[in-house]
Amino acid sequence: MRIVKDTHIDFMSRTFIAACFSALLIIVGAVSLITNGGPKLSIDFKGGTLVAVNFTDKVDINEIRSSISNVSIEGQKFDFSKEEIKHFGDETNVAIRIASLDNEPPRFANRVAESLAAVYPDLVPSEQNEFILSIDKVGPKVGAELSSDAILAILYALGFILIYISIRFEFKYAVGAIAALTHDVLITLGVFSVLGYEISLAVIAAFLTIVGYSLNDTIVIFDRVRENVKTLKGATIESVINQSINDSLSRTIITSLTTFLVVLILFLVGGEVIHAFSFAMIVGVIIGTYSSIFVASPVVIKMDKADS
Amino acid sequence: MQKSLTPRYLIIGLILIWAVYALLPTWEYENMSEEKKEELRTLGELEKTESRIIRQGLDLKGGMYIVLEADIPLLVTNLASTKDARLEKLIDSAREQSLSENQDFISVFEQQVKTDGLKLSRYYHEYGASLDEIITSLNGEADDAINRVLEILQNRVDQFGVSEPTIQKQGKHRIVVELAGIQDSERARALLQSTALLEFYLVKNVAVTNEVISQLDNALKGDVDLASSIKQDTKELEEKEDKSSTTVSELFGDQEEAPLDQSTKDEGSSDDIFLEAPFSGLLSAIPGDMGIDEKNLYAFRKLLKRDEVRSALENANGQFLLSQQAEPVAPNSPEKYYRLYYLEKKPELTGGIVEEARADLGSLGGGSAGQPVVSLSMNSEGSRTWSRVTGANVGERIAIVLDQKVHMAPSIREKIPGGRTQIEGFADLNEAKDLAIILRAGALPAPVNIIEERIVGPSLGADSISQGTQAVLIGLVSVLIFMLVYYKLAGTVADFALVWNILLVLAVLASLQATLTLPGIAGLILTVGMSIDANVIIFERIREELRKGKTPKAAIDSGYDRALTTIIDANVTTLIASLVLYQFGTGPIKGFATVLFWGILISMFTAVFITRTIFNAYVSNRTLTKLSI
Repeated sequence: MRIVKDTHIDFMSRTFIAACFSALLIIVGAVSLITNGGPKLSIDFKGGTLVAVNFTDKVDINEIRSSISNVSIEGQKFDFSKEEIKHFGDETNVAIRIASLDNEPPRFANRVAESLAAVYPDLVPSEQNEFILSIDKVGPKVGAELSSDAILAILYALGFILIYISIRFEFKYAVGAIAALTHDVLITLGVFSVLGYEISLAVIAAFLTIVGYSLNDTIVIFDRVRENVKTLKGATIESVINQSINDSLSRTIITSLTTFLVVLILFLVGGEVIHAFSFAMIVGVIIGTYSSIFVASPVVIKMDKADS
Repeated sequence: MQKSLTPRYLIIGLILIWAVYALLPTWEYENMSEEKKEELRTLGELEKTESRIIRQGLDLKGGMYIVLEADIPLLVTNLASTKDARLEKLIDSAREQSLSENQDFISVFEQQVKTDGLKLSRYYHEYGASLDEIITSLNGEADDAINRVLEILQNRVDQFGVSEPTIQKQGKHRIVVELAGIQDSERARALLQSTALLEFYLVKNVAVTNEVISQLDNALKGDVDLASSIKQDTKELEEKEDKSSTTVSELFGDQEEAPLDQSTKDEGSSDDIFLEAPFSGLLSAIPGDMGIDEKNLYAFRKLLKRDEVRSALENANGQFLLSQQAEPVAPNSPEKYYRLYYLEKKPELTGGIVEEARADLGSLGGGSAGQPVVSLSMNSEGSRTWSRVTGANVGERIAIVLDQKVHMAPSIREKIPGGRTQIEGFADLNEAKDLAIILRAGALPAPVNIIEERIVGPSLGADSISQGTQAVLIGLVSVLIFMLVYYKLAGTVADFALVWNILLVLAVLASLQATLTLPGIAGLILTVGMSIDANVIIFERIREELRKGKTPKAAIDSGYDRALTTIIDANVTTLIASLVLYQFGTGPIKGFATVLFWGILISMFTAVFITRTIFNAYVSNRTLTKLSI
């Protein structure tokens, strides 16, 4: 079986359209990021309390919201109706997210869960263990540290990759690869912002996976370019790159398809906990494949022209 | 490559056998019934299995994850001998700056003191004269405080009754506690945050101890069910009966009462030991004390919970407590024993009376010159009681107990009037330092705050495991089928390599005792992707070469050779990324990086080396005109 026969597509003549498309995606994402005041961070990075509970039957978010506008915990009054309350997985589960408070009473998270239980006392499972699905409480300091660590780790990784590719290939290829990676992460960030998904630690792991995947894809094409530069002496860099992309096109499509298949299944049946993760992966696989052809390669051409 | 294939077969065979061996405990454990686990736990053998299985992270199996941080600013405030508004203001602003700039509190404090021109020696004269000296001492106190908390938490974690709790120091002032499958998060939190209880108990003398042991034996004896249940709990014991089963008199040498006849060894069959002397049958003689073999601990604890034992101890006004750690009787001996103490029911003194405890080398002129000692001083109320207790019990032993664990039971040499006490008999200075920490632990100088807390309920954990596994499996099977359909025979070879790739990664995780978390699964998915990609690259190359009219053999050779540089470049870049992420990342990112690192290394072995070997074997023995690819 062969999906892709020998192709002679002139990819590099379409780089302008591609650049416009990429720019559009990035601008839309950036506008969304700016209007939302930065990416929507989960409590992992922002600090706060997230309580997820499980009722035995479907519950109504609005009713919960109006019922918890005046909760008293140890004499302190709280209005949770302004907090973010949503279904978690299916409609029997509810998650509430509360920003870090200065004077949190002891056992705060459990008290919040109790106040949720009081809204639908008949729908609370008899075992207390089955009611609380998860509690996450992160201090603001920890959150800040986590985000700076994650950003630092990604920056270092990019730096070392730049060095390696410069040694194995040439500096311009390294720039192309890094440009593609940055492009992928920016667009995924933008998509998350537009759709209102949160950036949690799991999503950071997905970003790392995307970086790995996109890099792999780019290197495979560059490797062909390196080979073809030797065999096709005298040809223009555009035609060499075009030839290389066509040569490796069947591999690109098969690998992307299989990876896409896996993450799609993950997204559909993987459950609530890895929902955001697998969504990031779906976006990443598409963008990663696209960027190897339409971002990494044109950058190499531009840098090559600038050299000579 | 016409070289002999035998060494290749050998390498592949050995590695695959190792993978099976490394994964066997996990396989057994996952398929073990709860009863069987319980049975092994009583034998003390479950831990051995548990240490060789792939552990699941709390995000997968449910549990509690807590990060505690010592409140260093408050510690520094508390250490000052006098306080005034100026110092407090400085500490407050240093606290804020260290929070907002994410810096170490004490170094920020040092800077601010310098710019402010405050004379620190006014407040901290006990800690040195110059600023440098004081800052060094404050840093030392801060480290000390967190070590004390660590010690206390380690003591307590037993009480949670969870398997494999982990308590680790993270950075300088933080402690991470992970409790798997915890049912009662409130209780766990309360236990973690409450202060440690330090108590001093008199150790009952040998005669009284022997008597109570024989009483317990009598009360429990003849119970066939009990005997067989203990027997089951201590199967190990049978094999080395000579060493482990002892008479009460053997425990102490011959100095005291006559041996209890029912527990002498001429009973013959070892089964009867537990029928005749269920209690003392579990005890062993170790130098200086009675001991409980580590393996018998569970059986012993079960015994202590029985009503007969409880009421007997109640009447005798005593209690059994164990030492904090099991120790080998002789250096390098594989068997480890807990020391067992029979103590008065009521403590003579409780914590809070110790004012200072310090580990030192004994001063010249004293009997303990040059030896490590712990000197402690007590407050006036403590000193009075201490003087009375020591005076009335010269020659007896007194146990130092923290959170119901005996840390040491030194003998009282003479009446100690002023509270100033010296404890001797440490193996080295570190041991003395540890005890000094214990003695001070009663009063925590720096409160600890929970700065991060994550609880994954058992049902969510179970859900994410089943859904996650299901998704990964469906995804994997679809990829396997796709490869099979698209590349036919070659696809089968790639599938074989992929399955081994996953098994090998899991085997490495099991032997590294790594924890598999959600980000780890993400790493595994990327690995699968890269591994499949390597084979796709190779196969597409081979197809290309075949189209150029090469023979199958030549096509395979040049296909592999050409694909290899591509694969190596792609994989090395990802390897670099994984190493960097491991180095600079924290928790979840590290988990991702570990799996990715091993996954890629192994995929180069499975997707390139193994498949190549199979292809070579396939083409070497026949003349092929067509290749199924």
